[in-house]
Amino acid sequence: MLFPGAAEDRRDLRTRIGALRVMAVVCFGVLAVAFWILQVIQHAKYESWADRNALRTISLRAPRGVLFDRHGRVLVDNRDSFTIVFSREGAADLDDAIRRLAEAIGWPEARVREPIQRAKGAPAFRPITIVEHATLQQVVAVKARQLELPGVEVLQVPARTYPEAGLAAHVFGYVGEIREDQIRRAEFPALEAGAMVGQTGVERAYNEALMGEDGRRYVVVNSVGREIEKLSQDDPIEGQRLQLTIDYDMQKALEDGFRAAGFNGAAAFLDPNTGEILAMTSLPAYDPNVFSGGIDRTVWASLTTDSLNPLTNRLVQGRYAPGSTFKIVTAIAALGEGLVTPDFKVNCTGGGTFYGRFFQCNRSHGVVDLRHAIEVSCNTFFYTLGEKLKIDTIHEYAKKLGLVGKTGIDLPGEQDSFVGSTAWKLREHKEQWYPGETISVSIGQGAVSVTPIALATMISTVANGGTLVTPHLVRAIDADGQGWKPVARPAPRAKVSLSLPDLQAVRDGLWMVVNGAGTGGKARIEGRDVAGKTGTAQVVSLTGARAAAAKMDVRHHGFFVFFAPRDNPRIAGIVFAEHAEHGSSAAPIAKYVMETFFAKQDGQPLPPLPPWMKAVVTSPVPAPGTPNPEPRTREPRNPATPEPRNPRR
Amino acid sequence: MIVERRLSAHLDWPLLAAVVALALIGLATIYSVTWNFRLDQPGQQFWTQLYALPIGLAALVVALAIDYRTLAQRSLIFYALLVAGLIYVAVNGDTRMGAQRWMTIWKFSFQPSEFGRIVIALVLAMTYGEGRRGARTLGDLAIGGVLLGVPLLLIQQQPDLGTAVTLIPVYLGVVFVAGIRLKWLVIVSLAAVLLSPLAWFFVMEDYQKERVSSFLDPSKDPRGAGHQQIQAKVTVGSGGFLGKGFQNSSQGRYGFLPVAHNDFVYSVLAEEHGFIGVLVTLGLYLFVLWRSLDAARLSNDRAGTFLVVGIISGFTFQVLYNITMSAGFAPVKGLTLPLMSYGGSSLVSTLAGFGLILGVRMRRFTN
Repeated sequence: MLFPGAAEDRRDLRTRIGALRVMAVVCFGVLAVAFWILQVIQHAKYESWADRNALRTISLRAPRGVLFDRHGRVLVDNRDSFTIVFSREGAADLDDAIRRLAEAIGWPEARVREPIQRAKGAPAFRPITIVEHATLQQVVAVKARQLELPGVEVLQVPARTYPEAGLAAHVFGYVGEIREDQIRRAEFPALEAGAMVGQTGVERAYNEALMGEDGRRYVVVNSVGREIEKLSQDDPIEGQRLQLTIDYDMQKALEDGFRAAGFNGAAAFLDPNTGEILAMTSLPAYDPNVFSGGIDRTVWASLTTDSLNPLTNRLVQGRYAPGSTFKIVTAIAALGEGLVTPDFKVNCTGGGTFYGRFFQCNRSHGVVDLRHAIEVSCNTFFYTLGEKLKIDTIHEYAKKLGLVGKTGIDLPGEQDSFVGSTAWKLREHKEQWYPGETISVSIGQGAVSVTPIALATMISTVANGGTLVTPHLVRAIDADGQGWKPVARPAPRAKVSLSLPDLQAVRDGLWMVVNGAGTGGKARIEGRDVAGKTGTAQVVSLTGARAAAAKMDVRHHGFFVFFAPRDNPRIAGIVFAEHAEHGSSAAPIAKYVMETFFAKQDGQPLPPLPPWMKAVVTSPVPAPGTPNPEPRTREPRNPATPEPRNPRR
Repeated sequence: MIVERRLSAHLDWPLLAAVVALALIGLATIYSVTWNFRLDQPGQQFWTQLYALPIGLAALVVALAIDYRTLAQRSLIFYALLVAGLIYVAVNGDTRMGAQRWMTIWKFSFQPSEFGRIVIALVLAMTYGEGRRGARTLGDLAIGGVLLGVPLLLIQQQPDLGTAVTLIPVYLGVVFVAGIRLKWLVIVSLAAVLLSPLAWFFVMEDYQKERVSSFLDPSKDPRGAGHQQIQAKVTVGSGGFLGKGFQNSSQGRYGFLPVAHNDFVYSVLAEEHGFIGVLVTLGLYLFVLWRSLDAARLSNDRAGTFLVVGIISGFTFQVLYNITMSAGFAPVKGLTLPLMSYGGSSLVSTLAGFGLILGVRMRRFTN
């Protein structure tokens, strides 16, 4: 305007500004399209990437169900424990991460690397357990160095606590991380590596109820894996609570008594009318706390290689010749078949010849009837009954009394009890049954091999008048904190039909064993009418020289089966004392536990320690220093307490 | 100096509103992304930015109140001050994050380089605005080139290649509108392209080279330089059409995207507000550009036109580059998003620049 050509100049300027605008619009348009591609077309892909970046799911282990005794006393509970986990996703350089973590927790690198190597196939974001039951020191070290330890987290998990060292260990069993060979088993449905499951005992038998449901916490973590924000949480659901049939005081009395007596062995005390187990044990035992505390390799090794097999539950997994306790079966079979009456008499001259072979008695009892034959445990009398009986009849009665097959107790790994039969002999040995063998069986030797729990069901059946009950350990379940719901009692498995006079004769004989001239005098309780029978199982039938050469403990095992009171039994059971020489050695233990039972039943104070226990009751497990017990009869071939493939540490 | 009452009638209120809206959107995004989960409150950067906003608006008012012609006439003084400031910083500046680009004046630390664009725009407006020749000859171009080159080299060696590069579009924008022959423009552009390999060998630092090479293949180094780029794409892409919602950015808030309040603020905006948020903000930026070019077109004199074009060219280049980068489509550079990114100096200088632009339009009828 002020100079020539201004108009043209201005037109040019406007054109150029217009050009700038076009360029800008094009640029912004291209950007809008680019964002459209990222945010709309490729949205799903990037969204999943972002979720993987920031979201973590942390598994919250459910506390296992608490175990109570029959009176509501807590037996097994949970405590808090720390677990250090590592997820590979968080670490850019795996070797470096392993080195740092090992340094922080004070472990050799190889030990940290091992579980990570094992989990190679699992998704990278899944946390791998490195340290279970970490020490406070390790927890603090990891927390303090969180920034240098991407992918490492400390989780708080509930761990099992069991009562004072080893009490009722074989009732509870123990828990451990699920083994690789267990994961696909139907027994443990839908479990992943790292889950804690019951490995034996009630923990295993009721694992599904006890486990509860693990919870999940959805959290946001930042780029170094630190938890920033909790989005939501599905709380873990505690496992179902179990009320056991166990009575804590009786259990304590039983184990104190056993330890004071200085024996290994097994015992069970039942309500003979229901099959509820009030107390049971198997010794030597182990401390289940050791397992829930992340078992040490050396401890594990000592448990599995111990020649006394502390992991074997002798009550249900050990099989022994029942000895004289089997005479009860012979008596009932002969009475039940009507072959004899209680007044049947035999003149014992220290033995007798049957089928052309002389069978010995422990001494000359003279003329004895059934009651007295039981009282003094006269072999000759029962040989005579055995001669009248067929082996298959004995087998039949033994089966009705619970001595054939499994008792059905709710514990894993129970072994079959065994009483010979013609069919068995043919099947296993392709041979005829020789009648002479029946003579041995009639006094509990030879082709008889039973578990202590089976003997306990046998004596319970005698006590309750002929009903074969199923021994069991769980009374009631509290599934949801709403109160106890009784567990259906297992139906009777068999019924022995025995006339009342016949039954009473057997009971009288058993009463006389304890209260008369018999071998069970140490179990006598004033006013309680204890009835029982001792038995002795030979450990070896080989020559003594060979046994001595093998440095075996050749002392006999002792049994004592019992019930009380005679005419209205409230309690029955068995005490099996390894290498106790004679069944009478087991009787004092049974007496002390029964005293405890009656005191509780009548609301009396617990009985004082008997003098023989006082001196030793506080001493720990006796160390007999005896090598492998080698009963004459078959030992369980494969103990059902399997060895974890990867014992931790 | 006082804004006359009648002038306010010619103030471009829509432009001012758009500029303030963008600054507020940026502030809200910084509020979200700097959130401190331990204290449950926004981070320190939010408060700094909050205080910088009124200071920037005051600068805008001051820049608006002073006649741009007065400023243009004294532009060489500002130019000298800029160069002096840059030299001072080079010798005696504060070093942060490996770059020496801050100076402290009475408690306030600021970056002289942030004001480079305005000063260059002013000095070029003065140079090409006088007379009617514009920038048509090689000599004209060379004069502007020298004026550009001195601060550019000073800023580049801080090192702050990003800010240095933003000076170039100021120059290119002004010489383009000032009437450079297209032949020369092509030659200058070609020269820039041909010289870039030289820059690779002689100018760029290793970390800059690394950024460029990882841009070309981000998967080569997903944990290092390429990491930011991948995370930027994830951030934007995971936002989707509607976005995750305010304060729901996971990428930005949980540290997966580095300097999310600064270089990558737009990624977080895209994550929280989705494609809708992107369209709104792109629209606002385009609107700001459009209205500013109106001011350039309507300007009373050529100096005003060149001043507006210079300022808006640098602004637009930076906006385009940053947004491209925030979607992972360009190499990562320390180049902030004007008006939205965290940075007090940047906000103040940008708002001051818009004060000048508003002033040019407001004074289009005055002499």
